[in-house]
Amino acid sequence: MLGKQKKAIITMLSAMLVMSTVAACTSNNGKTNNTATPKPTAATTTNNTAEGGETTTGIDTSKKVELQFYMLGNAPKDLPQVEKQVNEWLLEDLNATVKFNYTTWTDWDQKYKLLLSTGQDVDLIFTAEWTQYQQYAKNGAFLPLDDILPVAAPKLYEFVPQDMWDAVRIDGNIYTVPATYKEYVTGGFVWREDLRQKYDLPKPVDLASFEAYLDGVKKNESNIQPVALGGAIDATLEDSLMELHRQRVGALPYGLHAEYSDPTNMVGYWGSAEHLEDLKTYKRWADNGYFSKNELNETDSNQDKLINGSAAAIFSDNPTRYNSTLNQMKSLHPDWELAYHPFGITNGFATPVHPIHNGFAIPKNSKNAERALAFYELLVTDERYNLLTSYGFEGVNYEVDGNGHYQMIGDNSTNGFPREAMNSWAWRNPEYMIFEPSYDGVEAIFNALDEIQVPDIYTGFAEDYSSYQAERAALEQVEKQYLFPLMAGLVDDIEGGLNTFMEKANQAGLEKIQAAYKEQWLQYLKESGYN
Amino acid sequence: MKIKEDSSTKWFRLISYVVVILGSLLCLLPFLLIVSASLTSNAEIINEGYKLIPSHFTIDAYKIVFMFPEELLRAYGVTTFVTVVGTGLGLLMMTMAGYVLQRKDFKYRNFFSFVIYFTTLFGGGLVPYYMLITNYLQFSNTMNALIWPSLMTPFLIILMRSFINSAVPDEVIESAKIDGANDFLIYFRVVMPLAVPGLATVGLFLALHYWNDWFNSALFINDATKYQLQFYLYNIINTSNFMNNIGAGAGVVLSGPVPSESMKMAMAVVVTGPILLLYPFIQRYFVKGLTIGAVKG
Repeated sequence: MLGKQKKAIITMLSAMLVMSTVAACTSNNGKTNNTATPKPTAATTTNNTAEGGETTTGIDTSKKVELQFYMLGNAPKDLPQVEKQVNEWLLEDLNATVKFNYTTWTDWDQKYKLLLSTGQDVDLIFTAEWTQYQQYAKNGAFLPLDDILPVAAPKLYEFVPQDMWDAVRIDGNIYTVPATYKEYVTGGFVWREDLRQKYDLPKPVDLASFEAYLDGVKKNESNIQPVALGGAIDATLEDSLMELHRQRVGALPYGLHAEYSDPTNMVGYWGSAEHLEDLKTYKRWADNGYFSKNELNETDSNQDKLINGSAAAIFSDNPTRYNSTLNQMKSLHPDWELAYHPFGITNGFATPVHPIHNGFAIPKNSKNAERALAFYELLVTDERYNLLTSYGFEGVNYEVDGNGHYQMIGDNSTNGFPREAMNSWAWRNPEYMIFEPSYDGVEAIFNALDEIQVPDIYTGFAEDYSSYQAERAALEQVEKQYLFPLMAGLVDDIEGGLNTFMEKANQAGLEKIQAAYKEQWLQYLKESGYN
Repeated sequence: MKIKEDSSTKWFRLISYVVVILGSLLCLLPFLLIVSASLTSNAEIINEGYKLIPSHFTIDAYKIVFMFPEELLRAYGVTTFVTVVGTGLGLLMMTMAGYVLQRKDFKYRNFFSFVIYFTTLFGGGLVPYYMLITNYLQFSNTMNALIWPSLMTPFLIILMRSFINSAVPDEVIESAKIDGANDFLIYFRVVMPLAVPGLATVGLFLALHYWNDWFNSALFINDATKYQLQFYLYNIINTSNFMNNIGAGAGVVLSGPVPSESMKMAMAVVVTGPILLLYPFIQRYFVKGLTIGAVKG
């Protein structure tokens, strides 16, 4: 008996040991392999047959429906109140209610993919070029809107200019409703103007003057890192430099390069003489201590560093974010100054955001496509809906001051609905938009860029990487392993390092990817008439 | 008379003490860093990095965290509820399964054991799992999605099966049967009391699993009032990570409050603190459970 008991304890203990060592590896098993007893809850869509409801559009609204609305990001605290009010109006207008769902920023891309690929009950979902709208549309995740737009949302169809509708077409069909608010998300130098004046440094307008500024900061302020780049060095360093210095048409992947003025002439940038030259520039910056040796492991945001005074510049940021950095810095250090120089001024051209940049699409599984579109029309064109979902309740969350400026009541941590807290980027309506007083600075930049604006020809391109998916993943690894340290100035022998990188990249299939991409790109240019 | 220790024993003891003390200090250090960072001002963390002893002591971070405690408290409530219900239900179901699987008179026990074991080796992957929970079971946005998926963990069932097999002799079950007990009576009155050490072990693992779970919230919960505690915390960190990683080209400016470094740490303390205080007590019962089982013959 005792022996058996002892054996049992030993079994348990050893099992525990094994368990604790493999816990890390098996932590997902419990999630993916369990059988669960079915226990259906009430279906999410309520299909009550309620009669009545004012029909404002040419669609059938006799049946009451609940629309599932999906947006990225975190829901604001006051969302339930806003949703209640919207539903009150919506029940009257369209005999429908809406449920605003927010994905949070945790694994948002995975969730986005699951929502679209597993046939979920989704009626409206956010699209942008950075959520791969082009790929999803090409693969048939969304419903073509051409036919139902004039029927379900005639006002919206009028409201959005025809050229924007055309610009979001993928393979000839409209899949998303673009936002009409015009903004620029192009890059520009951000620097500490008070330091620049104090040490009489040149104003950064191009690479040379920027370097001179960094050098001056380094010499005079030993405690401040001249430029903050962060871990995503491919975007903050290479893409910024390409945009400023080599006038790249867009953030082309796979080390490809084509100038804006000559988009058909697409060449490999990685491994070229220009690439070597740029890598030497980065190396010089690293050696001179303009950025940290540990930059790749940095977790604080570049903006935070500027706000708190541990860095003196950001290589590239867009006007809106520059403005928000400026405001945050001013609230902590009123005597400091920031300044901004858009790359567009140096290059002589700037591209406003492509209509794809912010939009809402209807997934092909939607059961209430017409009603969803009609609701979206209200969201954009009806002032009540638009203001409420953009700024919250007037008098509770915000007020409009004498100059027509937006004024938040309380501050970020006490207000349950800060400005655009529902991430209402896509349903911004320029006619109703109200801005914070500090927006004047952004508007001035936008106005300057308006004078030199040219259309964005890159974003409309829908890459189809199905034929080189494996190579793509391999290349990404190679890039992280061999190119990142090279850019961060951690490799002494640049030429040797570049050769190694190119060798590994070619083994991973760089040439195949580039050739396939270029073919698609030229095809796109031909179809869209840009060449 | 005291037995004199020879020098090798002394040395052994000295070295063991040193190793164990160093080890525990190493384990303690990260936690101390979190606590001290939560008491440091945010500007100091960004400018000078994390330090064990902050030069400017401040409790601002805690003030902000507790300005609106309802979200945090609600997440606590959800996690506590899920942990208690899930552990209770899970223990019941897994011991039942383990008990049945080890009964010699259950003809297909090997087949069923294999089926359960098979799922630990070959899983369907994320997409089928997601579809099962959302499309077929319609669990999304309910507590069900947080509780059901972990109720029958194959590894723990098999653990329970082998434990009951070795801790409860067949003879005991037979004699209970002769005394006129039915299967449920045998299970509740004979097997369960003998399997207490197993229950303690499996229960602890299950409870820890439920307490630490964030993945199910991330996948299935859209309603902010049903976030689990760990997800609530994880999401805060992810939001600032997202802001750092999204390129300037995306043009995303979030208007909501983005927590500062010291605030993140304060939240970590608030979230881990209570369970950390609870742990020694659970552990005591856990050890007790083991020894009770050991003494009884």
